[in-house]
Amino acid sequence: MIDTVQAQPDDRALVRIRGLTTVLNGKVVFDKLDLDIPRGKVTAIMGPSGTGKTTLLKHITGQMRGDAGQVLVDGRNVAELRRDALFELRERIGYLFQNSALLTDFDVFENVAFPLRQHTRLPEVLIRNIVLTKLQAVGLRGAASLMPSELSGGMARRVALARAIVFDPMLILYDEPFVGLDPIALNQVLKLIRTLNQTLGITSVLVAHELEAIKQVADVVYLIANGKVVAQGDPKTIAGNGSPWTRQFFGGEADGPVPFQYPADDYAAALGFQQGAA
Amino acid sequence: MSARMGHENVVIASLAQIGRCGLFLLRILSAIPRSMRHASETVRQLWFVGGMSLTIIMTCGLFVGMVLGLQLYHVLAIFGGTSATGSVVALSVYRELGPVVTALLFAGRAGTSITAEIGLMRATDQIAAMEMMAVDPIAYVAVPRFLAGLIAMPLLCCVFCGMSIFGGHLVAVDWLGVDNGTFWSNMTATVNVWDDVVNGLIWKSLVFGGVISLIAVFQGYTTSPTSEGVAYATTRTVVASAIAILALDFVLTAFLM
Repeated sequence: MIDTVQAQPDDRALVRIRGLTTVLNGKVVFDKLDLDIPRGKVTAIMGPSGTGKTTLLKHITGQMRGDAGQVLVDGRNVAELRRDALFELRERIGYLFQNSALLTDFDVFENVAFPLRQHTRLPEVLIRNIVLTKLQAVGLRGAASLMPSELSGGMARRVALARAIVFDPMLILYDEPFVGLDPIALNQVLKLIRTLNQTLGITSVLVAHELEAIKQVADVVYLIANGKVVAQGDPKTIAGNGSPWTRQFFGGEADGPVPFQYPADDYAAALGFQQGAA
Repeated sequence: MSARMGHENVVIASLAQIGRCGLFLLRILSAIPRSMRHASETVRQLWFVGGMSLTIIMTCGLFVGMVLGLQLYHVLAIFGGTSATGSVVALSVYRELGPVVTALLFAGRAGTSITAEIGLMRATDQIAAMEMMAVDPIAYVAVPRFLAGLIAMPLLCCVFCGMSIFGGHLVAVDWLGVDNGTFWSNMTATVNVWDDVVNGLIWKSLVFGGVISLIAVFQGYTTSPTSEGVAYATTRTVVASAIAILALDFVLTAFLM
């Protein structure tokens, strides 16, 4: 019998992950991972490269299914949803891709308008107003007629952000949102994430490495390593909690529980030096 | 022993690929009703795969007809039958050369562009982005391109045949002096609309169009999301389409004759 968990009005977690185990190409990415994403908060997921942060987002959106465990979004087990129900859920989720993933056939305006055109029958004037409002929010209203190939990496990311928020979703997942942004754009994006969270109560999940930016915007930080949550808490204090994981990760040290070097044969032998040779 | 096992593996891998392609066709067919709301995308793709292939189809059709006219005139002259040049050109083009050459050109021009476009969409996460925006990529990306190929091929084949006959006429009548009336009357007397045009041209080009579009869309959709993967997928589209066209041509000819 399959356990299902119904959404409770007082359920403070919009996303609840329990016992998630994922094995990819023989490597254990998640090992009975437990994690809660609180409603209406900005949650940051941090961790060393290759630790499965993007994979975690894919589990939340149903793009990928785990080998064991449950991922509950708004009380619904994502792995058990049929295609229509999954698409219905995704209409309420905004997703900012690491590489923006703009549709290259369309200009900036049409990229942002794409979800509206696909899922609504709004009059053109209303679509135009919504799209221009979102583009204004990310500072790119003037770039509405540009093609994706004419945008810089940072601009493309902001267009993708405008597209992700065009439906005012209940949950926005940001995969590396700060990469490639200049300080002005970074500050505006931080403000935008905060504003969306405060004014509309949107739950946000950020996958990022920039601790200073995270400190400004996040309410909760999870540090993931070795397939588990190794630290969690307030972004201003988590770096100083004394655990070897946080000390190495936030201190940027090569030595610690997370190996900097990928497993390899003996270095001296690989360079052709014999042990004990002069 | 190991060579035999290697051959068996290749055969099994090929059969598995054909099976996956068949399952993909079922996904496409089942998504056709959902893709009706993306009719404008199908029209757009029809222009890209059909309209933009017109130049190569018309040019090649003209030269194929001219070569046919030249070769057949000289062969028929041996038997004193140059008056039959028009009918032999028309029969060759309608029954075989029209559908086959159009299909090979279509695979090279439109099939590769479909594969490369979808492959790049996958490599740049555009397909994943559509899924995340609750838009079915099979209905939005695969079906319009498949339908566009299916519709465009018979139309392009008709254009190719028309240009070939024009080319044959240009050489046989205007250059080599075959009588204009004889050229056309012999052609209309020997060409049967049902056997040659409908069976030879329309059916074959419909089947070829469907097969090429399916291979192109399948290769693009299932490509490995790297530049090397897209390059291999594009090559596979041309190779698989060429083999499928020539093999199916024999089967269809055997059935339709």
